[in-house]
Amino acid sequence: MSFKVIKPGFLTTVQDYGRLTHGEQGLAQSGVMDEHAYAWGNYLLGNHYFDAALEITFGSVELEALDDMLICVCGADLDFKINHQTVDIWNSIQIQKGDRLSWHLPKHGIRAYLAVKGGFETQKFFNSRSVNLREHIGAKITQDEIITCQASIGQLDHFIAPKYMPNYHQEVVLRLLPSYQYSEFSDAQKTLFFSQTYTISNANDRTGCRLKGAPIAIKKDKMISEGMCYGSVEIASDGLPIILLKDAPTIGGYLKIGTVFSLDLAQLAQQQPGAKVRFELMAIHQAQKERSVFNQFFGVGVNSKALKI
Amino acid sequence: MHKIILAGESSLLIYFGNKIDPSLPRNIANFANQLKKHFSESIVNLTPSYTSLLVNYDLNKTNYQQFKTQVSELLEQFSFEQAEQISKVIHIPVYYGFEVALDLEKLLAEKELTIDEFIHIHTSQTYQVYAIGFSPVFAFLGQVDEKIQAPRLATPRIKIPAGSVGIADRQTAVYPIDSSGGWNIVGRTILDLSLNDPKNLDKFKIGDKVRFYSISRDEFMRYGGRE
Repeated sequence: MSFKVIKPGFLTTVQDYGRLTHGEQGLAQSGVMDEHAYAWGNYLLGNHYFDAALEITFGSVELEALDDMLICVCGADLDFKINHQTVDIWNSIQIQKGDRLSWHLPKHGIRAYLAVKGGFETQKFFNSRSVNLREHIGAKITQDEIITCQASIGQLDHFIAPKYMPNYHQEVVLRLLPSYQYSEFSDAQKTLFFSQTYTISNANDRTGCRLKGAPIAIKKDKMISEGMCYGSVEIASDGLPIILLKDAPTIGGYLKIGTVFSLDLAQLAQQQPGAKVRFELMAIHQAQKERSVFNQFFGVGVNSKALKI
Repeated sequence: MHKIILAGESSLLIYFGNKIDPSLPRNIANFANQLKKHFSESIVNLTPSYTSLLVNYDLNKTNYQQFKTQVSELLEQFSFEQAEQISKVIHIPVYYGFEVALDLEKLLAEKELTIDEFIHIHTSQTYQVYAIGFSPVFAFLGQVDEKIQAPRLATPRIKIPAGSVGIADRQTAVYPIDSSGGWNIVGRTILDLSLNDPKNLDKFKIGDKVRFYSISRDEFMRYGGRE
């Protein structure tokens, strides 16, 4: 029937693909920070793309299995162990009732996803199980809590080719669509933005990622608030970029220089403060092509009621 | 006057004007309904704001060039002079006491107003919902009388209690949940606008009207108000 939480860790929440249809009501998108790792977890188990997983940030988590279950851990290597034995991630594993699953410290990346066959069955809020702490929707997991899911037994023929297993240590290049107020920035401002290597600051959470670097001089910093999409890059009053992520507010009034391609944000989700990132321009048709390949492979949005208003 | 621009890999932004105008929210809401009717298969999400509408579409059904052309054709046919749709008026009880209205004393001194004058000005206006965002159920209401308008605080507060009524420039709003924020706090409502009651998600719609009315400290405390 589920897992019992022995140690909840720093920031462990249930997430699915998010709350995609509530912009008119001011609800943030929410959902997994690393769509790539999450999608693989569900795919390897033969799940629906929307099935909820546990997003474990940094580690210090221990769970006890209360049933036999087929699981898969993808994303960061947080020194994952079953009953104190190191186990390969990016692979489906049959666990037994009484097994202890533990995540310790980040070795490679910072966010791990625990997917279970059939997905977690926690309470849905507005068509999604995603927790959004900023909006007070749901909560982090707590000690002794029971996280519900179905028992399962099985062996799957899905596997991941090693070339799709990401290297979170490589330099992060965020490809940027020239959207929103891109054309209002001068050539000099754009040159400074694209030529420098930024550093991820400590102000980096599920709402947004603030970057440190050489500030862009801006004449006007505020405009009439408008809808912001996942990955849009605000240039704040101090001239530095803030990349808006899953828990960001739906509208805002800073100028935006562009929007980062969603699958590059999956790489960003695995970076710690201090990591380096830079931006490159990307054409919309290229972004749509790459995203469509991803959507088709993982069955994202296909015949999904979840995407209907 | 209309403009459609790229927003993200599966979203575009429509501008209906370039300045805040009381006729826009209703028109944007009407156009959003038209979009839903015409493109129910391809539209995933709509986020209206003061002068714009963000549209997220399903990449499995369409693409930027195709969808932009279709939306632009619909915009050309759309009549912006349509009869007013019926909108509801939401009444919000507010206690304007200094113990909950954290910035009111300072504001009164700056504006050289008595508390009664301030309450009269804030409660005699019928406001319109221009946008919903920042957090769910947070409705941006305008326009506040110039006599009581005030810029955001230089340093935002870390925690503003749920129910606080704020003013920022010519906008006013209620904070539905405890949040950080930089608005001038001038009162507090006893209404629970949080998502503890899921029905609150549909409390405000773009174009709705809102009026505040003043309640006494006794009423505030009796209905569960907290200092």
